[in-house]
Amino acid sequence: MGGLNASLSIASQGLQAQEAAISVTTNNIANANTPGYSREIVNLSEGVAVGQGDTALGGGVTLQGFSSVRDQLLALRIQQQTSQQSSANAQTSAFNQVQTLFPTSGSGLGVDFSNFFSDISSLSANPASAATRQSVLSSAQDLAEEFNSISSGLSNQQTSLSQQVTSSVAQINTLSSQIATLNNQLTQLTAQGENVGTIQDQIQQDELSLSQLTNISITENGGLDSITTGNGTSLVLGNQSFALQTATGSNGLTQVLDSTGNTITATITGGSLGGVIQTRDTDLPSLQTQLDTLAYQFATAINSAQAQGYNQNGTAGTALFTIPSTVSGSAALISVSSTATAASIAASSDGSTGSNGNVANLSAVATNALALGASPSNAYASLVDQVGNYAANATSESTAIGTSLAQLTQQQSSESGVSIDEESTNLIQYQQAYEAAAKVISTISTLFTATLSIVGG
Amino acid sequence: MRFNPTFSTTITADIQQTEQALQTALQQVSTGKRVNLPSDDPTASAALVQNLTQYANDDQYTTNADSALSQAQAADQALSQTVTLLNQAISLGTEGANSTTSAAQRQENATTVEGLLASVANQANATFSGVSLFGGTANGTVAFSPNGSGGYTYNGNSDVNYVAVGATLNVQTNVPGNQIFQQSGASALGSLQQLATALTSGTSAQIGAATTAVTSALNYVSQQHAIYGNSINQLTAQQTYLAQDQVTLTSQQQSLVGITTATAAENLAQAETQNSATLEAAAKVLPTTLLSYLPN
Repeated sequence: MGGLNASLSIASQGLQAQEAAISVTTNNIANANTPGYSREIVNLSEGVAVGQGDTALGGGVTLQGFSSVRDQLLALRIQQQTSQQSSANAQTSAFNQVQTLFPTSGSGLGVDFSNFFSDISSLSANPASAATRQSVLSSAQDLAEEFNSISSGLSNQQTSLSQQVTSSVAQINTLSSQIATLNNQLTQLTAQGENVGTIQDQIQQDELSLSQLTNISITENGGLDSITTGNGTSLVLGNQSFALQTATGSNGLTQVLDSTGNTITATITGGSLGGVIQTRDTDLPSLQTQLDTLAYQFATAINSAQAQGYNQNGTAGTALFTIPSTVSGSAALISVSSTATAASIAASSDGSTGSNGNVANLSAVATNALALGASPSNAYASLVDQVGNYAANATSESTAIGTSLAQLTQQQSSESGVSIDEESTNLIQYQQAYEAAAKVISTISTLFTATLSIVGG
Repeated sequence: MRFNPTFSTTITADIQQTEQALQTALQQVSTGKRVNLPSDDPTASAALVQNLTQYANDDQYTTNADSALSQAQAADQALSQTVTLLNQAISLGTEGANSTTSAAQRQENATTVEGLLASVANQANATFSGVSLFGGTANGTVAFSPNGSGGYTYNGNSDVNYVAVGATLNVQTNVPGNQIFQQSGASALGSLQQLATALTSGTSAQIGAATTAVTSALNYVSQQHAIYGNSINQLTAQQTYLAQDQVTLTSQQQSLVGITTATAAENLAQAETQNSATLEAAAKVLPTTLLSYLPN
């Protein structure tokens, strides 16, 4: 059974509902550019009908609350791809620096090999020339220094990546801790029946930041997200977070430890941390070993060729290069022997000063394959190829993931993003409904007055 | 399906992409290279390292060939001169062997032959850039020195040097002096000394025999002379080959990492067009919302 009072009540509910809708629209517009914000919608439902049978009237509108529009599955895929892209980006960044150590022309090991062997070849025209011999010695020094410089460049890159490991672990810990705190707030607000959209947005945004740092796995447990690294090391469990630790390993590089102190460095994949560890612990050591092998075998071959000839004083040739007894560290430590002088170059094959017979043996090192399977300059070319491929592959992987990530982000944006046009339309719509409800109240008020004037009259 | 309302990020990414393309095109125009870092094309970069090594080798082989050629030409000239001197001696010997030639004339011829001997010894001691041409691989010593009894002693050795003028090509750069000038049975220096002695105090028959010995020496020196001729021919041919190889290598470098000016300019024009089109489109789309059309 209706009446003016019932109508007034319905109109009043209408005002409240439109007010709520306007406040949601306002909040959406305010957060149109907030990263991670998911647009909210107002949930309205019809009021329960009042009366019975044909005379039952609608019960107005009921405000059910607000909810954020989001697609969890999409968010998960974005996190996974973000993780892969960050890894590729970290590798691209590292190799863009490393590849400058391996120039193709103008300078670098390739040019130094050429200069060294050219100078040796010059000796064949005039084996007794002091100037030519000095050139050989100088270019041998340049070559040794270039090996030292590349080796040091690779080591420095590893050190710099270690610093990134430390800072990434610190960021992971900060984010884990934030998420645990937010989980705690989420529990409390949910218990109080409050709108938790904002908290969920923040958690989602933190999870995305976390996936930029490393590959994570998220499982929902009692409405709260539990987060582990890709290999299962716990980061967040409900309102509790587990901080990762760092320590310097036996190789002098920073290692990642879980909260109980177990080393988990090798199991970390994905994210910038995964990319940095992959580059630092796998790719760069591989390059370093190849460079060491090249330095070791090249120096050994030259020293052997020296031993086959005679120096300018007519005595048996001695080692031109000093290298460690093992391959490891050869590129860093190769140097021209401290006793070597211009006269030490063993150009002669018969002990006479004008003989160039041993130049052929020294020159043969340039063209013959070393034990590693290629001549020195071809071995360097192979290193250039590898470094170029590392950088190019990481870049193209990043580009490929970038394309699919852009599509996923577009999808997420079309689902959860704020459209100013849509909100403007809604605003006009809610404004009109609000004005109409207000008009109803005003009309009912007039009717009350009219009725009361009859009674009073 | 709801459309993506926040397309400003997409537009920013599009603009960045065209700007990146523009930067790449500009770099290609300014450097004339398609590959500036190993990652631009790893395979081409590695091939370039090998190509440049080969090019530098060719440079060095060319320098070696130039130097060896000059040395061979100097030796060739010395031997040509020696051949002329020996021919003169043969004429004098033939004249002296004639029974009608007077003793005074023979003595005069003997003196001339002694002069010729000194000249041949002088040629045998020829040097190039301070290095004895006919001293074998010995250095810092005169190849032949007078032995005090009218003859000459060889101070060099019997070794030979080769110079690398190609990856698998080594050319002989010297013939030891004892092999050219003091070959047993065909010694130029020995036969000239023998002729001078015969002209001074020998019989017609002895002068004749000495002249025959000089002729044998001449024939032998001419044979040795041919070794240098062969070296010169080999070196000249190798120089031509190296020059051609460097042209080929340069052309390979261009195809490996270079870009033609026309292509680079075309890429630049295309990148510029894409960039300005994207910017223009962004400028039109970005400011427009429903609010722009609502009355105040």
